[in-house]
Amino acid sequence: MKKIIKFGLSLVGPIVMIVILTMPIGPLAGGLGILQPIGGIFDVGRAVNEPTAQTVTIPGLSAEVTVLVDQWGIPHIYASTVEDAYMALGYLHAKDRLFQMVMQNYLASGRICEIVGEYAATSDKFYRTIGLARAAQRTLDWYVANSADPDVAYTLAGIDAEVAGVNAFINSMTSITTPFEFKVLGFKPQPWTRLDVFIWAKMMTWGLSGGIYDLYRQWIRSTIDNDTMYNELFPDVMPYEVPIVPEQTNLSLVEYPNAPGGVVVSSYPGESAVQISAEEAMIPQAKLQALMSLLADVFQPLGQDEILGSNNWAVASSKSATGMPILANDPHLGLQAPSLWYEAQIVVPGQLDVTGVTLPGLPAVLLGHNDHIAWGFTNVGADVLDIFVEELNPSNASEYTYNGAYRSLAVYDENIHTKEGTDIPFQVKESVHGPLIDSAVGTYGLDSESQPNIAMNWTGYGITHEILSAGKLNRAVNLTEYYDALYWWDSPPQNIIYADDAGHIAITCAGLYPIRSGYTGEYPVAAYNDSIGMTSYIPYAYIPRSVDPVQGYLQSANQRSIDTAKYGFQLLGPFDDGYRGRRIDYLLNHTASVTVDDMKMFQADSLEVSAQEIVPYVVAAWDSAGDGNGTINGIMNPLRTWDYVMDTDVYTPTLWMYLEDAIHYVVLDELRSIDSSLLLSRTPILEMIIKENYSYYLDDHTTTGQVENRDQILASALVRAINEMVQEYGTDPSNWIYGVHHRVYVDHLADFTYIGGGPQRGQNTLNAAGGWRVTHGPSWRMVADLGNIQKSYGVYPGGQSGNMFSPHWDDLFKLWYAFNETTQQYGYHQMYFYSTAAAFQAADTSGTMVERTITFVG
Amino acid sequence: MRKIDDIIPDIGFIPALIIVVVLAIALELSGAWITMIIAGVFGGLFTRKTSRAFLAGFLGVGLGWGLLLFYLSLTAEAMAIANIFIGLLGLSGMGWLVIVVSVLIGALLGGFGGLLGRSLVEFIDDLSSKRPVPTPQS
Repeated sequence: MKKIIKFGLSLVGPIVMIVILTMPIGPLAGGLGILQPIGGIFDVGRAVNEPTAQTVTIPGLSAEVTVLVDQWGIPHIYASTVEDAYMALGYLHAKDRLFQMVMQNYLASGRICEIVGEYAATSDKFYRTIGLARAAQRTLDWYVANSADPDVAYTLAGIDAEVAGVNAFINSMTSITTPFEFKVLGFKPQPWTRLDVFIWAKMMTWGLSGGIYDLYRQWIRSTIDNDTMYNELFPDVMPYEVPIVPEQTNLSLVEYPNAPGGVVVSSYPGESAVQISAEEAMIPQAKLQALMSLLADVFQPLGQDEILGSNNWAVASSKSATGMPILANDPHLGLQAPSLWYEAQIVVPGQLDVTGVTLPGLPAVLLGHNDHIAWGFTNVGADVLDIFVEELNPSNASEYTYNGAYRSLAVYDENIHTKEGTDIPFQVKESVHGPLIDSAVGTYGLDSESQPNIAMNWTGYGITHEILSAGKLNRAVNLTEYYDALYWWDSPPQNIIYADDAGHIAITCAGLYPIRSGYTGEYPVAAYNDSIGMTSYIPYAYIPRSVDPVQGYLQSANQRSIDTAKYGFQLLGPFDDGYRGRRIDYLLNHTASVTVDDMKMFQADSLEVSAQEIVPYVVAAWDSAGDGNGTINGIMNPLRTWDYVMDTDVYTPTLWMYLEDAIHYVVLDELRSIDSSLLLSRTPILEMIIKENYSYYLDDHTTTGQVENRDQILASALVRAINEMVQEYGTDPSNWIYGVHHRVYVDHLADFTYIGGGPQRGQNTLNAAGGWRVTHGPSWRMVADLGNIQKSYGVYPGGQSGNMFSPHWDDLFKLWYAFNETTQQYGYHQMYFYSTAAAFQAADTSGTMVERTITFVG
Repeated sequence: MRKIDDIIPDIGFIPALIIVVVLAIALELSGAWITMIIAGVFGGLFTRKTSRAFLAGFLGVGLGWGLLLFYLSLTAEAMAIANIFIGLLGLSGMGWLVIVVSVLIGALLGGFGGLLGRSLVEFIDDLSSKRPVPTPQS
């Protein structure tokens, strides 16, 4: 008996251990068993030591594919067919970035609860409501139905190959190759599908064109309740802007009759003004705020709308030191680790020779160059999303009024599955205008409606053709093929700059732009019939475009696309403040013969144009109306000689940051006295008020019996700024230094760690680095020299590997971050561009260019 | 029927410990931590006292995992991984604690394996000693 008891007791220890080692502990769903030396988290360190030569099997490959991985971990894929090339790319995407791909797709399709648990239900409800997965399915269905078209067939074949490559990796995963994050979260990836490819494309589209500005506009306008003031302080177009298109180039409507994406243009009103017939639908303030709060809180992988931006520019042969065009691009997106981008070169003899950055999971180079052309993107920022407030049937909330009758709302069952094993019941309703976004948040109790009734009409919710267009752009070799490729680019609207080895430069504000009937698109409206809405689209032939302009250069930095006086169609913003556009326009205009080095310097340019324009007025104001305070004098003196560069080793940029806020505060008392949460207008408006000496706003209306002039107000702003700075950072000037506080962080997607943490130059400058904790900025820098395409350069803030213990986790970030004071440039790597593997290997005489070789076999 | 303890000799603590270390490393290469209980059981087979069986398993697997982790820290970023992991629990810079916990987990698995092995042997031997000895038929 004693022995039985002893044996029984001896079982307790092992059982307890098994339970402890398998049960989830908080976010560590993998259980403590993952701490074992082999087969757990430590295996990921073994994956870092990759063999210099490796053979990998991908079922379905038609011929051997050679991949030379260069010193930065960038694959150069040499294949016999396009399908084989994309299979290899898919495998490499998954090998290096599977966790990222899964996270991004689950987020986009409203399934993130399946990975992280039910606490993420708000995010899932939001993404299921806006319906990226539904839109992706519709788009996939269109591709399948139109696969007889050679371009569609080419795209589908590439997608299938990408999927096959991803699945080849998933099926071959071992403990060593399983991403660290999956081990910690206890997650096993499912096979990749065609739909997954389209879902991620839709997320890109949403991230760059999904801003719901109608709600913000209505909230600001109704809060101010003064249309004169609203129009003066919150215009759609900023003053002093240099538009993107200097000379409009239309194409032939006969040759390109449709709107982008093959949308048939049935009719368009041309230059006639929009006749307003729909009333603005006033949404109660509480409801507006709840919706805006949801939009602000939901994680957006590409970055929040208000900080998205980008630069691209190109100089023509006439303005280039090389005698051929040079093109530069740096898209400013949310910085994340692993990066949004994955660099690759893809070579299929006679068909494709392209290099640049891809989005992991998509079979195309989105930004880069091939052997004849180079291109780059910036976001247009056009408003292509409208809000329609539906009138529900009082006796049946599943119906709404349209064309004089009640129509049933479509209902989608979108039950959310959670990691905990429970299901959260969820339904999304949809009207003719689109999904009812208040399905995502319980706001409908805040007004008379008891059910969701706010519909979102977004151009990206339809069938879109991003991948098809990108694939055609990858293969384009001249201007005509560039036009043909962008004929398909519908969403998201992008300023796509172009340069080729025939000496041409061009820019197209490519995208599907609605022509609105019966309303402006600025505010939510009630539209009870089909005469009101996005009734047509601007024909592709007439969208803003410029080709080989006389000025010899083109530039875009998210500013207004084209001078409204020179263009017959309305493009709704909001567009960027325009300071970056003004700066690059100045630099290109004042540089007679631009070199590749100049282009790199321009990308690193950190001169704050707003400071350059406003600070001289402040200095003059202090000299004229200041009280002569010695302390203030001492602190502000460096402003007199400041070069307006947001450098990290001086305190003038810090003072400017406080000064800008202070000027907004003291000048726009008219706004803050209405509601302290109101945005105090945008800086170009402030610049205009100061330059034009606009006495109404310059007067401080909170003082009685006194009218302040510009100098008095700016002097008081300076005092306020210095007081605020000293209050925040103390009296020791060493603690005011910009770089002490302005630092760059590239956070891991699941917040496991971060890259960076060091001082960062720039602000609202060409070298974009907004805010104090810099988490957005140039997500890719490229300079392509069409005179010698081999001497083109690129870099992004991260690394090719998603394995945070790999040397390729952050090696490109180090390059991106390293600023050379002498050359005034950041680091780049040369984009190795050899048309055969043998040529690449032969060029590698030092043995440092090629790190390893992977041979893919079927 | 012969008892297990009569078949498997008591080889002493140190040899038993070495056997467990070797087995722990070999079995851990399979990537299944549960096999550490089996490694520990061998500690119970080659010792006679319960405390020694536990210690042989505990120290044997602990040493085995310690050696593996030492090797991985030299060749495969084990300390960096440990630092990231502990950072997830809000204890940055304490990666050594993860290594200690890992070794402790292995040691406990081995130790409990040793206890299980010894008590299992004693239980089986006890059963076999109580079974009536069959008398030969005349």
